[in-house]
Amino acid sequence: MADLSKEDIQALGRAVGLDIQEPELTEVMYSLNALLESLDAINPPGLDEVEPLPIILPPA
Amino acid sequence: MDKSELPFLSASELSRRIASREVSPVEATEAYLNRIDSLDFKFNAYLTVTRDLAMQAAQEAEREISAGRHRGPMHGVPVAVKDQFNSAGVRSTGGSRILADNVPDEDAAVIANLKQAGAVLLGKTNLTEFAVTGFSHRYSTPRNPWDLNTYVGGSSSGSGAATAAYLCATSLGEDTGGSIRFPATWCGLVGLRPTWGLVSRYGVMRGVWSMDTVGPISRTVEDAAITIGAIAGHDPRDGHTRNAPVPDYQAALGKGIEGLRIGVVTEQMDSEVVDPDVRNVVQRAIAVLGELGANVGEVSLPLSTSAGPVSGALLAVEPANNHARWVRENLSDYGHDVRILLQTGSIMPANYYNKALKIRELIRRQVLEALDTYDALVFPTSGRGAQPVEDDPMVTSKETSSRLPFLLTRLFNLASCPAMSVLCGFDDRGMPVGLQIGGKPFSEETLFRIGYAYEQATEWHSRRPAGVA
Repeated sequence: MADLSKEDIQALGRAVGLDIQEPELTEVMYSLNALLESLDAINPPGLDEVEPLPIILPPA
Repeated sequence: MDKSELPFLSASELSRRIASREVSPVEATEAYLNRIDSLDFKFNAYLTVTRDLAMQAAQEAEREISAGRHRGPMHGVPVAVKDQFNSAGVRSTGGSRILADNVPDEDAAVIANLKQAGAVLLGKTNLTEFAVTGFSHRYSTPRNPWDLNTYVGGSSSGSGAATAAYLCATSLGEDTGGSIRFPATWCGLVGLRPTWGLVSRYGVMRGVWSMDTVGPISRTVEDAAITIGAIAGHDPRDGHTRNAPVPDYQAALGKGIEGLRIGVVTEQMDSEVVDPDVRNVVQRAIAVLGELGANVGEVSLPLSTSAGPVSGALLAVEPANNHARWVRENLSDYGHDVRILLQTGSIMPANYYNKALKIRELIRRQVLEALDTYDALVFPTSGRGAQPVEDDPMVTSKETSSRLPFLLTRLFNLASCPAMSVLCGFDDRGMPVGLQIGGKPFSEETLFRIGYAYEQATEWHSRRPAGVA
């Protein structure tokens, strides 16, 4: 996916009630794009089938 | 023994001398409080020192022990606790200005458990703001006793500094992405992130609900064993704690490691984020494990290299949601790094968060599969020794968005597994290096066996930072 622009970041912010402004707008843009780019690059076998279980439940 | 020397005993040795009534809890507590008064201006380890409460607890411990009512190994032992834990009647800031005047009316479970064990609470330790970053502090920045110009490592930075500077006998930290093992490795200590579900999270300020764990930061493996023994156990107020007896971790220490199978995770050992001098130190430590009778082999965990981005997503999104109202209404009250993190986490698309959770499950399966073959997995805790203190830098590119690319702790957080960091030598700058040992869920006894066997075979843990005497 192409990097999100500053306008994209502001639009995402408005959707959750945040008014993201400079100078932090640029920093948030880089931070989010870095995370999304990293996750885009990870596509191991079985990803489509696996359930997003976050924990090992301790035995009762 | 001169009373001023009492703080230099290990917690477990102090415990034995208290039990035998050779040392009074009051003497030990006074000795630590005197050190805090005279030295903590250098380390910034404590946010709140509870002198009067500590002396009351020490006097009560002395009365009980004198009357023959010894509660166990933590009775009368002076302890520091991270200010991420609620403490009744004592301000609990979470390292944030937002909670500067927050005084809970109930103790976190871990604090209540320490009190029940008879421990003496010296105070609340400094931390990065709300424990969600590695370096960004809203009060003073704790300084590393091995070099005051360097960071301690967060988020449990104050507990690391207090323990390394002999300003407490042992301490508690909290580890969501490595916040116990990070200060432990940079300060030359033992840090144990327990299995998620071993220790109650009740009264702990949340980070990532499925990764938050409370555990010890201590000067020796035995100290960590007696500390975790006092706080572990089922708590109905945390429905995810395991309802099973707590093992006697101290009893496991001397069992040796003959025949244990230890896997060196090649992707982590060979990672480009590991400095060559750090790698050499850790390789030598692993060789010692082999000399002690462990069967050491190499294991490949390809998905371990994904632990950083996956945990990065969780460590952004979940705190942002925990803080949603404050982020909208009080954003300027947070420090720079946390403002960037929380805004980033607030707007991450849900499909990416869901993808991170799915990759997490695949990572977890890969780790557990390796632990079917090996009793423990090892690699460096951090690829780099302690770094110089600096102002929070601006994020000027995607490449500079993470300040912790060298931290190798997160694999075990994602897998819900226990992991320990043990001092295993020093880098070329003379800064401590930690060996990380991870194991199956609820296999803390195995980690203690390995850590203790290594510690007893080497002399690193007996070294003291030059500036703390």
